[in-house]
This record gives sequence, C-alpha cells and structure tokens, in this order.
Amino acid sequence: MADNYFEEEEFHTKFDGKVFHRILSLTTPHLKWLIGFLVTIAGVAVLDSISTWLSKRIVDDGIIAGNTEVLTRIMIMYAGLILLQSACMFLFIYLAGVLGERIRYDLRKKMFNHLQALSLNYYSKTPVGWIMARVTSDSERVADLVTWGLVDSTWAVMSITTSMIFMFIINWKMALIVILLLPLLLYIAIQFRKRIITSYREVRKTNSKIVGAYNENITGVRVIKALGREKENLQEFSGLTEKMYHSAFRAAWLSGLFLPTVQIVSAFAVGMVVLYGGYQAQIGMMTIGGIQAFVSYITFMMWPVQDLARVFADMQQAIASAERMFSLIDSQPQIIDRPRAIDPGTIKGDIIFDHVTFAYEKENKPVLDDFCLHVKRGETIALVGPTGGGKSTIVNLLCRFYEPVSGKIYIGGRDYTSLSLQAIQSRIGVVLQTPHLFSGSITENLRYGRLDATNDEIIKATKVIGAYDFIMHFEKGFDTEVGEGGNLLSVGQKQLLSLARAVLANPEIFVMDEATSSVDTLTEALIQKGMQTLLESTTSFIIAHRLSTIKKADRILVIENGRIAEIGTHNELLRLRGKYYQLYTRQFRTQLEAAYNPFEELSKVS
Amino acid sequence: MSQPQAIPELDLQSTISKNRLLGIFRMLKGFRLRYLGAVTSLGVSATAKTLTYMLLRYFVDTYFIAQDKTIGLIWIALGFVGLAAVEGGFTFLSAVLASQTAEGITRRLRNYLYDHIQHLSFTYHSKNKTGDLIERSTSDVDALRRFYSDQAISIGRIILLFTINFITLINLNARLALYSIIVIPLILIVSMLLFKKVSAAYESYQEQEAALSTTLQENLAGVRVVKAFSRQFYEIEKFEKDNWEKFMRGKKLTLMDSLFWPFSDILCSGQMLAGYIIGATMAINGEISVGTYLAYAGLVVYIIYPLRNLGRIIVQTSNGLVSYGRVMDIIKENREPLDQGDYLPSGSLQGKFEFSDVKFEYEPGDHTLENITFTVKPGQAIALLGSTGSGKSTLVNLLPRFYEYTGGSILLDGIELNRYPRKYLRQQIGIVEQEPFLFSRSIRENITYGVGREVSDTEVESAARAAAIHDVILTFQDGYQTLVGERGVTLSGGQKQRITIARTLLKNPRVLILDDSTSSVDTETEAEIREALQNLMKNRTTFIIAHRIQSITDADLILVLDKGRIIQSGTHHSLINQSGIYQQIFNIQTRIEDELEKELAIGG
Repeated sequence: MADNYFEEEEFHTKFDGKVFHRILSLTTPHLKWLIGFLVTIAGVAVLDSISTWLSKRIVDDGIIAGNTEVLTRIMIMYAGLILLQSACMFLFIYLAGVLGERIRYDLRKKMFNHLQALSLNYYSKTPVGWIMARVTSDSERVADLVTWGLVDSTWAVMSITTSMIFMFIINWKMALIVILLLPLLLYIAIQFRKRIITSYREVRKTNSKIVGAYNENITGVRVIKALGREKENLQEFSGLTEKMYHSAFRAAWLSGLFLPTVQIVSAFAVGMVVLYGGYQAQIGMMTIGGIQAFVSYITFMMWPVQDLARVFADMQQAIASAERMFSLIDSQPQIIDRPRAIDPGTIKGDIIFDHVTFAYEKENKPVLDDFCLHVKRGETIALVGPTGGGKSTIVNLLCRFYEPVSGKIYIGGRDYTSLSLQAIQSRIGVVLQTPHLFSGSITENLRYGRLDATNDEIIKATKVIGAYDFIMHFEKGFDTEVGEGGNLLSVGQKQLLSLARAVLANPEIFVMDEATSSVDTLTEALIQKGMQTLLESTTSFIIAHRLSTIKKADRILVIENGRIAEIGTHNELLRLRGKYYQLYTRQFRTQLEAAYNPFEELSKVS
Repeated sequence: MSQPQAIPELDLQSTISKNRLLGIFRMLKGFRLRYLGAVTSLGVSATAKTLTYMLLRYFVDTYFIAQDKTIGLIWIALGFVGLAAVEGGFTFLSAVLASQTAEGITRRLRNYLYDHIQHLSFTYHSKNKTGDLIERSTSDVDALRRFYSDQAISIGRIILLFTINFITLINLNARLALYSIIVIPLILIVSMLLFKKVSAAYESYQEQEAALSTTLQENLAGVRVVKAFSRQFYEIEKFEKDNWEKFMRGKKLTLMDSLFWPFSDILCSGQMLAGYIIGATMAINGEISVGTYLAYAGLVVYIIYPLRNLGRIIVQTSNGLVSYGRVMDIIKENREPLDQGDYLPSGSLQGKFEFSDVKFEYEPGDHTLENITFTVKPGQAIALLGSTGSGKSTLVNLLPRFYEYTGGSILLDGIELNRYPRKYLRQQIGIVEQEPFLFSRSIRENITYGVGREVSDTEVESAARAAAIHDVILTFQDGYQTLVGERGVTLSGGQKQRITIARTLLKNPRVLILDDSTSSVDTETEAEIREALQNLMKNRTTFIIAHRIQSITDADLILVLDKGRIIQSGTHHSLINQSGIYQQIFNIQTRIEDELEKELAIGG
C-alpha cells in the first residue's frame, strides 16, 4: 500500500556533517534533558564496571583472604551500587524517553505548521503518502537517533573506557591484548549490522508487496473469479512468498550468526587471558579475582560493541530520514503575501482577468492562454466546457491557490497580489466537486465555515441549501458524527454540507466547482431557490453540468483549450447554434432521461 | 545455507482446534523435527555455557589453587575456546532451524490464505470488509510468525537455561541453589503485572498515534478546503491538540517503562546479592571451594535474569493466540469448489439457455428471484431492464455459478447448469463490468489478464484496436507497458471499460455478460464504446444489464424485472405496443424531444 511504499524508499546517503549537525541541534531547546540522560547513562556504565571490580574484590579480599569484615563492607557497597544504578537507570530511561517524545512532537509540529503554509503546487506534485511518511516515521527515526542513539553510544563508549581502565589497573599487559581485540570486534559487528539492516529492508519491501497482493486479490475477487485466474494468481503470489521466505531467512540467519561470532572472538580473548593469566599468576602477578574480572569484562564487552555497531548502522538511515524531512521543512511556499500586502476590509467590486496566462508546470503547454475577462460586481458567471479545458484553473487562479505566470488579476480595482492571502481567501466561498469533510460532528464541520457562528446561524445556513431535513433525520441530528473524511455520509450529503459550510462563511465572492453534481434534481432545485438571494448579492462563478444552474447565469463562458470559445447569455448562445448549443441539447436529453426513467434510482439525499 | 525448497503440503483446515495451543501445534506439521532440533540445539548451547563455568571452577580449584597440572594450561584455554565454539555454533544452528520453521509455516500459511480467500464465495466477500481481511492476512499472520520464531523459542530457551543451570547449582551445593530461587516467583509475577501495565500504556499510545495520523491525513487530503476557508491556524491548533496528547501519552508510556526496568532490576540484583553473600560466606567457611563460588556467581545470572523476560514474553504470547483465532476464522470457511460438476464438454458452449421457474434467495424467504422463465438461442442478445435491486445483477451472477440457484432449472445447451464445473463456465463466459476493476500492473498485463495462454503483441494490439483503446494507450509514455493505478496513469471510467473489453475479446468467450453503463461515460467516447461493444457481441450469446433504452432496441429479447420477477418480456417492437413500464420509458424519449424543442424555441 502507498504508505508502506513511501516509507521504504531507498537510502543511499553518504554521511553528511551538516545534516548531522542540524539533527543534533534539535536537542538545543532541551539541553537540560540531554545532559541529564547523558550523565545518568554514563553513570550506569561506570557503575557496571565498578560492580565487576567489586566482584573481583569479593574473591580476592573477601574469600581468599578469609576476611568476613571486608566481605561485609564490600557487600554493603555492592547493595548501595545496585540502588544507585537502579536510580540512574530510571532517570536515563525517563529522561531520554521523554526527550525523544518531545523531539518527535517538535518535529511533527514544525512540519505540520510548515505544511499549512505551503502552496497547492507543492501538494499537486507530492503524494500525500510521501508527506505522511515524513511526518510519522521519519520523525521517529531522527528522534531515536538523538535519544536512544546517543544513549547507546554514550553507554558503549563509557563502559568500554571504564572497563579498560579497570583492566589496566588489574594487569596492564593483559589489558593490551584486549585493546588490540577491540577494533576487530567493532569491525565484525559493523559489517554484520550493515548486512542485517539491508536484509530487513528487503523483508519490509517484500512485505508491502504482499500486503498489496492481498489487497488486489480481495478487492478484485469478482474479476479474478470471473476470469478463473485463481491458479496463476496463486503461482504469482507463491513467487512473492518464496522471495519473502528467502529474505526473511537471510535476515534471521545473519542476526543469528552475529552474536555467536562475536562471542567466539571474545572466547579467544578469554583463552588468552587464561593462558597468560595462569602463567602470570604463577609468578604472583595475577589473582584469581583478577582473572575472573578479566573474563567478565571481556565477555561483557560484546554488548557495548554491538550497540555501537547498531547506532552506526541506524545512523545512516536516520540521516537519510532527516534529509527528506528537512527538504520538506526547507521547501518554500510559492504563493506568499508580498511585502506590505494589505487587507482592505472588503474585496467587493469588479474582477478582471487581464491577459492571464498560466501553466501548472513551466515546461508544459499553458492551460490558460492570454485569458481576458471582466466580471462586474454581483454578476453570476457560469463556466462550461470539456474536462481539462481550463475551467477549474480559472477558479484556482481566482482563489489565488495559484498565481498567473503572466498577466494580472484585479479584484475590486487592486492587483490581487497586493492583497494578503487571508484577505482574499477568507472572503471567497469555495465549494468543490469532491467535498471534503473532517472527522467530527456535522455542527463542527459546518462551523468550519465561520468559527464564531451561532447555532441559529448554522441551522439557517442548512435551511437555505435544503440540508436541514436530512440532518434532522439522523438520530443525533447536528451532533451526528460524519466519520473519517465524512465517509459515513453519501457524496450528495457531503456536497450539501460543504455547500452549507460555504454559505455560513458569508463570502463576498462565491465559487462552485461542480458543487452539486451528486444531489438529485429535486434537491438541486431547492438549493437553487434557497441560494437565489446569495447569488444575487455576491459575485459568483459556477462550474456545472446541470443546465438549470447554468441557464440563470448572467453570462455563460464556454472554455476550451484555455480560451473563451463562446460567451453570452443562455439565449444568445443557443441562437449561435455553436458549441454551447450542442452541449446543451445533449445534456438536456441525458438529464431528462435520468429524471423520467422510472428505473433510475437517484441517489436520494435523504 | 540449506533451506527446504518445497514446503510440506498441509490442508490448514485440518489444523483447526478450539484449543488454540493445540491448533498452533498442529500447524507445525511437517516442521516438527526441525523445530525439535531448534530446541535441542538451544539445550546443547545452554549446556556448553554451563560447562564453561564448570571449567572455570576446575581451572581455579585444581589448576590454580591445588596446583594440579595434569591438564596443561593450554588445554584449559583451548577448552574455553572450544566450549564457546560449541555454544555459538549451536545457538546459530537453533536460530537457523527456528527461522526455517517459522518462515516455512508462515509461507505455507500465506499461500494457503491467499488461495483460500480467492476461493471463498461471493456471499462471503460481500459480507466481509477488505480492510479486516487484509489485517488478518498480514498483521495476524505476522503475530503468529513471531510466536514460532521468537516467543515459543524464547520460552523454551528460558526454561532450558533455568533447568540446566539449576540442576548444576544443586550439584554444586543444594542449599545455595535453593536460596538462590526464593524470590523468583515474585520476579515472575511482578514482571508480568508491570509489563501488563506497560502494554496498556503502549496501546493507548498507539491509539493516539492512529488519531494523529487521521488528523494529518485529513488535513493533507483536504488542503484545498483548508486554504479555501483560510483555516490554517484552526488546523494548526487541532493538530497541536492531538500532537500534544500523543506527547503526554508517550511520556506516560516512558514513565511505565522507566519504572519497569529498574524495579525488576532491583529484585533480580537483590536476589543475586543475597546469593553472593551466602556463597561467599560459605566459601570463607570452607563449605564450598573458591572455584565453586566463581561458577556459582556466573551461573546464578542465568537463572534470575531470564525469568524477568519470561513474564514479558508470556504477556506477548497472548497476542499470538488471539491472532491464531482470527486467522482461523477465515480458514474455517469452506471454499467454493471450482472443479465440482460431472459434465465437462470437450469443446466450447453453444450458448443456449433455458430458464424454467428459477428461484434464488440469499436468505431463506427473501424472494430475490422468483418464477424466472425464458429461453435464449445461441448468439442472441438478451436485455435485462429494471431498477437497482430488481434482481438483474443476481440473475446474471447465476450463469457463472457465482451464486447457486435455489429452485427451478437452468439448462445450458440442454444440460443442467449446476452439472458444469464452475471453472469451465467461467472460461466460457465473459463479463464486462459496470465499474471495471483494473490491477496495478501494466496495461498489457491487464489486457492479457486471465486469458490463460501466451498472447502475441499483435494479438493484444488488434484486441485493443477493436476495443477502441489502442490509440489512447499509445499516447502514454510507456505505451502498453504503462502501469495502471497509484504509481502509474489514472484512467477514466470509459478507458478502463475499453481495456476490459479488449481483455474479453482476447478471452473469446461464448457467452457474454455486459453491464451497459455508457451513460456514466463522457459523451464523446460513447460512440467509440458502442462500436467496441458491437464488435464484442458478434456471434455470442449476450446478457445485457441495461440502464437506458436506446442501447437495447436491437436485443432479441428484453426482460423487464421488478422485485425479482419478470413483469414484461418481448422484443422492442412488441413491448412498445403493450401498455406497461417499457412503453412508459419509451414514451419519455419522445417527450424529451418535445421539451427540447420547446426549450430551444424560447431560446432562439
């Protein structure tokens, strides 16, 4: 599925100091927490080494010396050590964990707020799944690096260092043997980790393919049965699961081989310690406790080494994640308020498209080409024409979702780029063909149009567009939950609500882009009637198939290939016997057929 | 690495059991020896570890203190290396065997589920949600995989470690051994209780994560609405609320976590310390040797610490059991037998249908179809007209035996329909759906999908031409190799339908089911689709589910359905002369033309 797909993008990033520095700087606002967990984790590491040292003393100074008094003292120290270590452990888990959550929170907030400022052109070329993956999984990965990554590496470095110090204290010659072994251990561990990570990535990739295959198999089950393709499907799927088997198995045996290998290498070190220590002991240079401590330090050493290797390998992924995240944060919104942009308090007045040319991508053919139009205040303009002709582009430009490549748009006598975005967009009511609602109740969704609307105003708006009745049919009325994206309602119902939402906003310019395509003719007529006053008082742009909607417009524009092919009133255009005439007659037939067909079950709104 | 290339066959329906552990054991069939090997290897490796400490004891007591040098230092050193090699080797072997088992079982389960799902009946699929089925086939299967690969093995490992080391300790000194396990039940219980709390905090954290994702997703999908109402600040506040809540829950989860580890650590370390004190005192008093003390100090770790994990694993294991039940809910459904049927013609069908008094009900007594009687000659076109829910879709779904008629008889070429194997019928019947489903593969693969033989490029192209889609395909950058769907091109409804038509042309069925939905298609392409359909219908018995009267005037037989019954039947000419619904619909057409005239008169 899409989301998994975007999470499993390839990472081929080289280590980049700048990015790394930027990642670290995420912790600057929370420096106290950072220092707190670094100190406590270092404490845990040091206390670990000390406890091994104490174990040595139990043997040498307690048991072998037969000194109960010393033994008691050591044991008391040991008990204190345990308590101290537990306290440190609590602190570092808590501090690092909370800091991690906090950085995740910071990152999500930063990205989300930035996303709100980005222009539509960003959204049109960036899949939602990609953005989601940045905000959710990439932020986790980066936060993990600056918390658990730092915890692990600090702990590892500290425990290796303190162990080495103690070993040097006990017997420096033997300690030298161990220090020579360290790079080898680290090298082996890193090589393993790298391969393990790649193989797990392979597993996840195959897994998302498997999920995709299940998805198609279930959603397309009717076609599969009809075409009798079960056998081939299973064969294809078996190919996938076989691939999964091999990559999962590879990942498992690599992980399974890792620890034993490190263990065996350290066993050689232990063997050498026994050999050399046994020899040294004979000449009185080494105690039993000393040998035991060496064995403990060496066998324990594989854990910090393993952690270091993991941090190192994860770091590459985290840096790649960070780069993608920063690319989101760094992308500039294309449409922003100009310096000294103003809000004149109202944008009522004429709207002029002055030789406007526009293309969504610079290299593409313009969607609008030298487009000129003068709309008088209060006029209702209908836009008709084939899909892709440029109708929606006109609306997008008017709402300043995009700005013209060349030419100017004037609203109320001002070049609209001299106004603030807020000034324009808060006064234009837009209703789109694919109505989008948010999870929450009907009231909450309607209030989206005007946050301070009273309940009475909300009810009034729903009555204007004829949505009141169907809302009251619900058991919970206006408190009915609409579900995620409004999926508990029909498309027609969602369209009505988004229309009511726009009406509630009390706009000065009204834009309807196929806003009522999924409501039945009867409801449509009701909407017409209810909105009459609104349409008369505002300047309106209407894109519609429904003839009744178009007919009443003051002017109708037939838009084709980015230009005005025909312009005039309904009657004028019919007389032309041109494109509008053809469009109209054809739609008239289909529409009446639908209206009269006793079989055609209309998607009734209520 | 040696790997089993073929997976042992097993009908997973036979593994179903009310006792979930028994069911999980049954699913091991074919892998049991391997799995036993994995556990045995763990035992060997644990023994080697124990022997290492016994060697240390020998080294200290005999070689070091008693100065008995019968066995040389070099041999003792080699002994340590050798034992480590054995321990490591068998740990690795166990990992290999366990993952072969777990991955093998999972692979078998995945294949079985996939095949099972595509063999379940239409009735099952219409009752179950896609998301739920996918969840069960992926997440639950993965939970089961983890059960075999990690949890069961870990439990085995912990028990083995405990047993072997405890027995060794008893042999070293029984009293010391018994003192060392006093608080172990407490560790187990405390870790289970604490971990349950951690799990609960984790779940609530996950819930909030889902809520946050929804908010984010809705915001991104509704970006035009947000901008249109310039509600950026409102959205930022909404997200902030969810985001902060996630932070707070994360903080709580962290707190639980940061309490669990040190708290259980104090218990474990306290127990260990007590053992050290007793052991050291015994060593000073000469009750045990120094070497014994050292061996004890090493071994006791492997008795105490793993048990803390045992509590955690037991809590996690319950997930695997729940998942087993959820997966088995799918598996226990019976498959639709594709080959069942005693009459298998060697060649193609003629396409003659005789329906007599056919009846169908989804639930007893719902009268979905009743008294359906009509006859179709090979090559004829039959149009079904009726409102949604009138039974026309159900009627055509009886033909490929997607549903089994519950009464009456359908003779196909003189033989009762349910004597034909489903597979054969579906090879002979082609379906062009109203909302065609395309797969996210290349256009070429979609056209050849289900044709069941190698198809040359020229054949594909000529089918595409006949379906009036060839030219459209060539406008795409990758032509026939263009991917369809999210990661490729988005096709319009009409284009999808024409690809389906091309596919059906290649399949060359004797009987055709057409869901005629040209009304939903752009008027410009309507003529092209009509032509493509004409090509398709030639020489085939065709059932048309009609939405408009214009497309069926040529049909050899028109059936008007209402509430599961045929209320009118005949040809177009005979029906327009009868009073009834058909005539009404037809008259509407003339009325429309009249009204249009009127409209234009006003305008012109």
